[in-house]
Amino acid sequence: MPEIKVTPLGAGQDVGRSCILVSIGGKNIMLDCGMHMGYNDDRRFPDFSYITQNGRLTEFLDCVIISHFHLDHCGALPFMSEMVGYDGPIYMTHPTKAICPILLEDFRKITVDKKGETNFFTSQMIKDCMKKVVPLNLHQTVQVDDELEIKAYYAGHVLGAAMVQIKVGSESVVYTGDYNMTPDRHLGAAWIDKCRPDILISESTYATTIRDSKRCRERDFLKKVHESIERGGKVLIPVFALGRAQELCILLETFWERMNLKAPIYFSTGLTEKANHYYKLFITWTNQKIRKTFVQRNMFEFKHIKAFDRSYADNPGPMVVFATPGMLHAGQSLQIFKKWAGNEKNMVIMPGYCVQGTIGHKILNGQRKLEMEGRSTLDVKLQVEYMSFSAHADAKGIMQLIRMAEPRNMLLVHGEAVKMEFLKGKIEQEFSIDCHMPANGETATVTTNPSVPVDISLNLLKREMALGGPLPDPKKPRTMHGTLIMKENSLKLVSSEQALKELGLNEHQLRFTCRVQLQDPHSDPDTLNRIYTHLKSVLKGYTIQHLPDGTVMVESIVIKVSSSAEDTSTKVLLLSWSYQDEDLGSFLSTLLKKGLPSGLC
Amino acid sequence: MYKDLHVYQLEHPTQVIEWTSGRTVCVAGYSSSKNEILELHLPLKLFADENKGLCAERDFKVVHGGFAEGPVCCLRHVPGTRCVVTNDGLSSDLQVWTVGGDDSDVIRRTGSVKGRRSVSEGGSRIAAPLSSQLLHGARSSDVQLTQLTSGQILYTLETDSADPLSSLQFVSDTVFLAGCCNGNVYIADTRTSAAPQLSPGPAAWGGSVLWWTDASAGRVIRLSSSGQAVVSDLRDLGEAVSWAQLDVQSHRCNPDDVRVSWAPALDNCIAVSGFSGAVQIYKTSVWGTERQDVQPLFEHRGHAVSSQSDDDVFVTAHVWHPERPRTLLSAASDGSVHVWDWVDQSEL
Repeated sequence: MPEIKVTPLGAGQDVGRSCILVSIGGKNIMLDCGMHMGYNDDRRFPDFSYITQNGRLTEFLDCVIISHFHLDHCGALPFMSEMVGYDGPIYMTHPTKAICPILLEDFRKITVDKKGETNFFTSQMIKDCMKKVVPLNLHQTVQVDDELEIKAYYAGHVLGAAMVQIKVGSESVVYTGDYNMTPDRHLGAAWIDKCRPDILISESTYATTIRDSKRCRERDFLKKVHESIERGGKVLIPVFALGRAQELCILLETFWERMNLKAPIYFSTGLTEKANHYYKLFITWTNQKIRKTFVQRNMFEFKHIKAFDRSYADNPGPMVVFATPGMLHAGQSLQIFKKWAGNEKNMVIMPGYCVQGTIGHKILNGQRKLEMEGRSTLDVKLQVEYMSFSAHADAKGIMQLIRMAEPRNMLLVHGEAVKMEFLKGKIEQEFSIDCHMPANGETATVTTNPSVPVDISLNLLKREMALGGPLPDPKKPRTMHGTLIMKENSLKLVSSEQALKELGLNEHQLRFTCRVQLQDPHSDPDTLNRIYTHLKSVLKGYTIQHLPDGTVMVESIVIKVSSSAEDTSTKVLLLSWSYQDEDLGSFLSTLLKKGLPSGLC
Repeated sequence: MYKDLHVYQLEHPTQVIEWTSGRTVCVAGYSSSKNEILELHLPLKLFADENKGLCAERDFKVVHGGFAEGPVCCLRHVPGTRCVVTNDGLSSDLQVWTVGGDDSDVIRRTGSVKGRRSVSEGGSRIAAPLSSQLLHGARSSDVQLTQLTSGQILYTLETDSADPLSSLQFVSDTVFLAGCCNGNVYIADTRTSAAPQLSPGPAAWGGSVLWWTDASAGRVIRLSSSGQAVVSDLRDLGEAVSWAQLDVQSHRCNPDDVRVSWAPALDNCIAVSGFSGAVQIYKTSVWGTERQDVQPLFEHRGHAVSSQSDDDVFVTAHVWHPERPRTLLSAASDGSVHVWDWVDQSEL
């Protein structure tokens, strides 16, 4: 039976890095190539030795697909393609292709410049890696080669995130990456059609989480901002240009309007330009509301949010500032942080994960004294708030997605050692499908039952129709006879004659010959006559002929009589029949072995 | 209004919320066919008191799960064990479950306890005093104390009438209180075979009503389906310490859903739910001996406000956190579960 094999790669049982290998229909695909942000050594990279012990990966992989730009899904890509070695195609959506290199470069700078690491990919490697990228559009089928095709679906979660369908023949796999089933202020919800893949691959952490509502998270954010503003403090929100920044801006604008607040909100200009640029390019990737707004005005033309100038940071009184970069590791956000850190009325809100080595990471770990350049120390007196705004599906969401796609099997990637029997049981019961949960480095094998599409010749079809009977019904199988020929990678069902002709083969006839001994004291022709009479009475409805050449024919079966040399009353009957008359031939030989009845004249 | 507020949506609504530890609760479905029992871990952010700002974790984690064949109308954790006991509201038999250890995420059915009379409307109430003992019964005439491991019956309550129960709880290691729907309260000691003390229900202000009872720290509160609340001292149930007419929509009361409970870590506060999509907190110390209309100290209207269903939402259960004074969990008929820590405006 054909099989699909799925192996989550990894060195350890932690979730935090995505890299999954799929073997389907003879093709090998790598899904995502993430970096584990919690480790500083080789454990942060996926364990590629599973593919090959040493040497390049090009000949072992047909393609690599990246679901979105978060580093735990693409952070190890330049390492894989340039340092381990892979020259094949790397597929990702257009927004991912545009944003990925920026995040990778930022990440590289932090790791090499800040932490002084040497065995890490270079800027040139990032550029070389991106040259191998083939961009994808939503819902567009892309032929990787003659047999392998892929298609991207909208996943929500972040700009450009996709769920991917991989298809070889009639076997397919869908990988969800990170997705979200409820739309938010700037992105839509994930969607997929009833594509019925053999396997749907997703993360198990979704299924064991029940998410706090977006409303509560937003409430918490607004409350903290408001409290700081009320006491005259300044709020710094370090962001990456896209995604959450947009969401939070819209949120604040609405809140300021509702509460009639006067404190200024600023957006650093570099941010505005970049963000506008990307949204213009990828407007189709945002949700309906944003698209409508964008047509009427510029993305960042808010009533209460203005462009930031460096000098404003020294202005007295409350204010809110959105500035890049997101992890406080350099640039404007770090500058502002240094100015505001000493005042306990102020606040910094970190809306996402910070990589080790950054100021963001240190303050989120509770560090209140920071060593800055030139040996100076910075006292962190302002309030530090860590808020997670990332849009992820949860237990309910994963069930919804399964209902949408109708997979034949479910596969959950998890890193935890705990057996998830309940979860497995829940999915198996609710959908009557198998749920697989391979650990990192373990391979799950799923047997598929693909249907093989076959062309049928018109003649054969006409012949079958001419036989009459009920009209063809897709639910009721109907037996028919034909010959299956495989020519030039296509399968055809044709009549035997046509098959012989097309393949240039000669038809062989099989004839069986059998000798039956009979005791009969008559002459040979008389014995033959008696046989003829006997058969005529037994085999009514069959064509029985007594031919002048001294043979009896029953349908196409030939019967001859001859006498044994020693004894003329010992007759030897020679029966000969073709393969088509096998049943009748066997019947006749058995019948005649019993001898002729005495009452015959 | 709130110090903390977390809003969750379960796949199926629950009628039960039961603490299985200081940080985990069990919930379970009550549809007529198969239901899930889940053990949920509360969000870390709720407990990160000093470093709350640094903790971004706001979600419930499903740590254990299991399947029940019928509805779960009552769920009790057996203290000191990893067992929970459930009743389906259709018979008086109980199902015993073991909540899997660290190596398994399954809540497995490991036994059952037979009720005194098999068929019973309204199902059994369950109270668990010490590990491996269960007090249970559907009516005042069939309350018994069963040894969990052996099934041995250690005590039975003998009463003259078979009043359906609305509550069953221990007020000390061996003394328990059985509150009946008609307002009668029985107090008995499982160590003795002495007749229980019967305290008839208070005079109802509105015609025929149903009563619910809760006892804590020597006080007993009785709440009627018309919103009448009576506070008494445990040692003298016949006398009312104070009364009040609560501000509830009594005509919409759903008997299965009504809950009244004393706050374990706050003086003289009760929580009331089941009359609507709100949970109300009342301060009983301001009540007097004359009938008076009272307003809640705090009203959590979250379930009604954030409901996405067109039908009226009902709060089906609420529990106080055993130690955190103003933290409650509440669940409603639309599957929502809220965790909230309210601010006492009168103290500001």
